[in-house]
Amino acid sequence: MKVTRRVALALPVAVCALSGAAFAQGGPIKVGVPLPLSGPAALYGEPALKGAQMFVQELNAAGGVLGRKIELVVRDSKATPDEAVRVSREMILKENVDFLVGTLTSAEGPAVSTIAKENKIVLIAPIPKTDQLVAPKNLHPYIFRTASNTTIEGRTGAEIIAKWADVKRVATIAHDYAYGQDVTKEFIAHIKKLRPDIEVVDSQWPKLGEADYTPFINAQMSKKPDAIFSAMWGGHFVTWAKQAKPLGMFDAVKNRVVNGGEAGSVEATRAMGPEYPFGIIANAYDLPTYKGQPQSHKDYIARLKAFTKEDPPSSWPIMMYVAMQFLTEGIKKAGSTDSDKVSAALKGLTIDTPFGKQTIRAKDQQADRGEFYGVMEKGPDGIAFMKDAEYIDPKPFMD
Amino acid sequence: MSERQSLLERIPWTLVLTLLAATVPFFASRYYIDLATYIAIFALFATSLNLLLGTTGLVPFGHAAYFGIGAYVCGLLMGELQVPFLLAFVLGGLGGALFAAIFGFFCVRLTKVYFSMLTLACAQIVWAICFKWNEVTGGEQGYPRVPMPDIPFLDWLPVHPRSLQMAKFYLVALALCAIGIYLLRRITLSPFGRILNSIRDNAERAQFIGIDVRRYQLYAFIIAGGFAGLAGGLFGVYKRGVFPDYAYWTKGAEVLIMSILGGINHFWGPTIGAAVLILLNGAVVSYTEYWPFVLGVILLVLLFAFPGGLLGGLETLWRRVKGRG
Amino acid sequence: MHLAFVDPTLMLGQFRSGLTTAMFLFLIASGLSLIFGVLRIINFAHGSLYMLGAYIAWHIVHYLVGNSLVGFGIAVLLAASAVGLIGFFVERFLLRHVYKVAELYQLLFTYALVLIFGDVAKFIWGTQPVSVQRPALLSGYFDIAGVRMPHYDLMIVCIGFGIAYGFYVFLNRTSWGRIIRAAALDREMLGALGTNVSLLYTGMFVLAAFLAGLSGALVTPIKGVVPGMDIEIILDAFIVVVIGGLGSLWGTLLGSIIYGMVVSFGILIFPRFSIFAAFILMAAVLIIRPWGLLGRPIR
Repeated sequence: MKVTRRVALALPVAVCALSGAAFAQGGPIKVGVPLPLSGPAALYGEPALKGAQMFVQELNAAGGVLGRKIELVVRDSKATPDEAVRVSREMILKENVDFLVGTLTSAEGPAVSTIAKENKIVLIAPIPKTDQLVAPKNLHPYIFRTASNTTIEGRTGAEIIAKWADVKRVATIAHDYAYGQDVTKEFIAHIKKLRPDIEVVDSQWPKLGEADYTPFINAQMSKKPDAIFSAMWGGHFVTWAKQAKPLGMFDAVKNRVVNGGEAGSVEATRAMGPEYPFGIIANAYDLPTYKGQPQSHKDYIARLKAFTKEDPPSSWPIMMYVAMQFLTEGIKKAGSTDSDKVSAALKGLTIDTPFGKQTIRAKDQQADRGEFYGVMEKGPDGIAFMKDAEYIDPKPFMD
Repeated sequence: MSERQSLLERIPWTLVLTLLAATVPFFASRYYIDLATYIAIFALFATSLNLLLGTTGLVPFGHAAYFGIGAYVCGLLMGELQVPFLLAFVLGGLGGALFAAIFGFFCVRLTKVYFSMLTLACAQIVWAICFKWNEVTGGEQGYPRVPMPDIPFLDWLPVHPRSLQMAKFYLVALALCAIGIYLLRRITLSPFGRILNSIRDNAERAQFIGIDVRRYQLYAFIIAGGFAGLAGGLFGVYKRGVFPDYAYWTKGAEVLIMSILGGINHFWGPTIGAAVLILLNGAVVSYTEYWPFVLGVILLVLLFAFPGGLLGGLETLWRRVKGRG
Repeated sequence: MHLAFVDPTLMLGQFRSGLTTAMFLFLIASGLSLIFGVLRIINFAHGSLYMLGAYIAWHIVHYLVGNSLVGFGIAVLLAASAVGLIGFFVERFLLRHVYKVAELYQLLFTYALVLIFGDVAKFIWGTQPVSVQRPALLSGYFDIAGVRMPHYDLMIVCIGFGIAYGFYVFLNRTSWGRIIRAAALDREMLGALGTNVSLLYTGMFVLAAFLAGLSGALVTPIKGVVPGMDIEIILDAFIVVVIGGLGSLWGTLLGSIIYGMVVSFGILIFPRFSIFAAFILMAAVLIIRPWGLLGRPIR
């Protein structure tokens, strides 16, 4: 089955390659999906993939785009740039994908962006947050980002903490690598601007993959901060919070903790159960319900529950779902799968996502994607949920 | 019969294999040209490791350190300072050799598992520096903008126009790797290589007959590090980026496995092992996500059935056939 | 560097952290040290056994017994025994063929096991992290001079020291212990003297596997159980064994404590030091004293 299909595709692809046109009449549009499907990052990678799969299932049932179905080619990037580049190259050269939608970590994104540029394949990155991805010196026509970024995240955290008038001493904790460093830098710069009276009394830098956070927690507590900005994420957040709670860290700061890194997502709350540090403020890309939720979002959540058979459903599928939406809308607007035409179509494109309109800015090919922030309260089933979630519009924080 | 055996040894394998490999762009798709480039680079990397493993009897876990250093030196020089490719490539090798000299000085004073663990510590320290030194190395994100070298010749190659860029780079990389492997072969067969062999066979006896074991081990370490650096430089260009993972100890484990798979007692073992492992990996991952399991089983089979690796097994088979014939 | 004055609460807290890290590492490194000391094998797969212990314990708690103190205790013992059983099969059918081959191939063998066990765990339990709650009766803490010592962490410390002491008594005061020490020195002679060496080896490996599974199970309330935890831990475990000296159990204990304290206090002096700590420590020890602190030169 696979072999004959590949042969059937190879001929028109070869013909088109020679003639310069870049579409195969009638065959499916192949979209390469490099995502971490193993290791700690799989916590986000696997549910994200489901979002893409659900979208493709819906779209193909409705006839596809430009009369052609979408076919996903999925590869495990293992959350390292090395492997992400390898599988992306394989998908481009061997599987002849037309587009790439994927990468999760801030290291994978820029690495695959280089490959996308070289092969003139449009890459839409739905999750990497590093500013480097679309910084002016790295920007090229084939990279687009639909995730939030570290500038937005750091500044949002600063806005929230700045509102607590009685907080004078602030501490930060983040992993000692690009994402942690960038988001902390933005946080510190912004909070100093908003509240010059606030002093950053401590910054802790555990290494990524630290097994024992207690020395860092202890050192931070000794500085007696009033509030903490944390960039712990995924499985790392679980470990850190599990170790911090018995040491009394959350009590000591009266739960005045703002945690980025999507610590409010369903994965984190479910993994921790009753041990979740209730009362902290965390963010998440998506929630099952929230104030002002449009009908389109309610429908999306219902479909997601049915597709993934999970309740509450994960917050990560929406990232790939929206990225795929952008891609297919871009293809429609361009009227072709030619990379240059789709790239031009994506710049400045506004689409209707389940939670409202979103636009990819033409100037930096970055979408105006914010996140939900709210206090994590204990739910009736003992699992944390985000109370009074507020979608914080990122536009004031974007340069 | 004996004529055939010496004929086997008299064939200039380096030249033959290189010429065979050079035909790849003319009939293979871009994907296979890409894969062949990968194989060539790792063949050099693994062969450099085998100078220590099979020839000298040392088991370094941290060979990735020099690979990574070569990659960063070459890639950063090309990307940030616009140093021409060949010069950056050579400097990458020198960088690898330099650090091999520094680390090697301490490592060769140890034996067996302590040697192995100290080489691992060195690799992890190199990795940690690459991971943290954001201003220079790009930190955890590495440096994803290594430029493709401008290759002004070879435009006349009768290949598909879409493959031309890749084919040009492949042939250049192949030539450089072939030269590197050829040099390693000459070193292995030279009197210096014989001394290394005697150290491998019985270090005490070698010391007893007057060989300064440590000094020769250090020389081997430096040479191996230098060639690993050259392979690293090529790898960075091939990947269009250099990342801290290149120095992480598991990269060294990959080439250890390739060498053992092919057979550490044969010069061409690591090359064969690299080719087999990479091709197998490429084939298996399209069908299953459980490649590590498959590799683990292959290694177990290898261990119990073909301890001499593929070439060792072939040699045993050959002897058995000869015995019957 | 804030050494303006030494804050005793901070120092005590860092000491407590360092001790917890140390004893938790010792739990897993002890088995590794044992295997090397007696069987002369560098067992990369020790981290995999630890991971299996963690997953099995989670499985039992999650699906069968719940995390009451009794339930958790049962899960831990069952998980450790299960891993011990796995160790039995590995030793009996695979490992024993590998004793006589060159070290390199022994390494290859254990590495192959790492790959296989890793994927088996991924296949059975998937890639999402899971965690176990601390049993209610152990989720409190002692307040010692302003520093909190969680009950659970104290239990780990006690178990660690208990194992160290238990080994001391076993190896030095019992006849079995004497036989094991003899096996570490000269296995052929021991065989010639009539001891069933192969049974001894199996027993040792099973014991080490049991310890690995035990430490994995015990760690589930403190950390997330994720794929990749096998590789993460084995490096740290090797480091403490090498620092202490291969084959010396007291050395492993000492190595663990030094490692824990260096990391814990090191970050006060060099805040961005954590990533280097383990490797610089190992390099320093290996350069200054190649056989580790309490080790003997390998034959």
